[in-house]
Amino acid sequence: MILACSTCFALEKQGSAPLEWEDAAAYHDGDPAAGVEPRFVVVDGATEAYDAIRWVEHLVASFVAHTGPAITHDALGVWFEQVQRLWAAEAPARFATVIERHKFLTEGSFATFLGCRLADLDGPGARWEAAALGDTVLFHIRDGRLLSHFPPIGVDEFGLSPAGVGTRPEALDPMLRDLELGAGEVRAGDVLFVATDALAQWLLVEAARDESSLWWALAALDHDAAFAAIVADQRAAGRLHNDDVTLLRVRLLTEAPGDLVMCL
Amino acid sequence: MYEQTFSRANPGCIVFLLDRSDSMKQPWQSSGGTLAEGAARAVNKILLDLCVKSAKEVGGRARHYFDVGVFGYGACPVAGGEGVEPALGGQPIVPIPQVFDSPLRVEAPRGGPDDETVDAVAGSRLPVWIEPVFGYRTPMCQAIAAAGEHVYGWAANHPDSFPPIVINITDGMVTDSPYDGADLTEWAARLTSIETRDGRALLFNIFLSPRLAPEVLFPTTAAGLPEPGPDLFGISSVLPSSMVANARGARVEIADGARGFVFNAGLATLVWFLEIGTRVADVRDR
Repeated sequence: MILACSTCFALEKQGSAPLEWEDAAAYHDGDPAAGVEPRFVVVDGATEAYDAIRWVEHLVASFVAHTGPAITHDALGVWFEQVQRLWAAEAPARFATVIERHKFLTEGSFATFLGCRLADLDGPGARWEAAALGDTVLFHIRDGRLLSHFPPIGVDEFGLSPAGVGTRPEALDPMLRDLELGAGEVRAGDVLFVATDALAQWLLVEAARDESSLWWALAALDHDAAFAAIVADQRAAGRLHNDDVTLLRVRLLTEAPGDLVMCL
Repeated sequence: MYEQTFSRANPGCIVFLLDRSDSMKQPWQSSGGTLAEGAARAVNKILLDLCVKSAKEVGGRARHYFDVGVFGYGACPVAGGEGVEPALGGQPIVPIPQVFDSPLRVEAPRGGPDDETVDAVAGSRLPVWIEPVFGYRTPMCQAIAAAGEHVYGWAANHPDSFPPIVINITDGMVTDSPYDGADLTEWAARLTSIETRDGRALLFNIFLSPRLAPEVLFPTTAAGLPEPGPDLFGISSVLPSSMVANARGARVEIADGARGFVFNAGLATLVWFLEIGTRVADVRDR
């Protein structure tokens, strides 16, 4: 039986307050006894989106809930409609200005999306199944090497994709058109990372340079401060674009960790 | 270069030079109304877009992502006579939260709910900051000189920001070249020599025409343009690669080396040009 053990690291854009971090991530490591499979999700609210924090929190909470969608086109289409309806139902009763009302009606909110579930972890068909809209990326690592990344975006393609989960019903058709599905076989000892765009782009560049050191270092990360130091160093060196960054790590183990690590 | 995003730590600066000369009273064949009305609508639309981009929280004010300026040249409705006059409450450069809070009025979309150029929504009322005005000649050099002083000061105070973007909207011949010993090309060169650490100031030109003629959008050559199109093309900045990439990401075809210039645009194209020319990051197809 493979068990999932997830941890998330995040840091806001330099110049923003911590509460202005507009990514969001959530995970549920599953419950083998109850037949509940692990699910995890990372989303990246667009810089110009309206009330992005409410939208991204709404998306991640809904995705990892026990009622969250299966990783199929049809199920995700139904889920997109559900989350859009809930967003509209929770609209402010009154808007402070005509500009705010205009933004809510014409643009609304928007976020890139990478949602994943782990399936059949007790048998030979153990695998990840993921859905993506936009440039939040899943990396599958085995023995310190990158097996694959999903969606299979190139280093020069970040920031160019218009895909994401939007709040406007008119966005539904483009979302379903752009939705990408992927899967990969997993083994105990593998590590999955999910990163938002700026960090994902940096990971691809660094992996091409010295991937073994990179993945071992990230697999061993054990404190928010250590993550923040890496991000600060890379931003200062001009290698990491100044953006909100999020790294969700899922280690696949054969037994639950013996130690509980708390970051203080 | 040209990679900085707009943020409160490093806001952007977008300045419009708005021709308010007498010839702007001519009809805009492609979009109806006068050239002055069309130009004012386009500027109002982009000011609204900048306010909308800066409106983030429920019930909150706009975030200070931009400083904006509008300089009218030709008729001066406040001071009277001919000259150059700041058109946003008489102030040269205004933080976007102040623009957000102080439209002249709020009105229904002129084109009605089907008017795609204003993102109209049924029942939606939209703010207006700039009124159409026309009269006198076309002191374009003086406008660049006046705006340039403020742009220079802004760049000195924001060395890490995306460099200032200056967008000139005109229908014709400059009437004050040379001005103060320098011709239009020299004034444009002085303006675009202003820089931040992220690059030199950008000057884009919108050449309106009362005639029916094909639109020319983001050209790489001045061939085929009527006078004074070649001169305006010549002083227009090459679009930075970041803007080209964003435009291509939004499925707009733009050649490498294209300049920030448009001739004879209808209102929808004009708004589209302004969106491309003021967008530097985070393209999202919402």
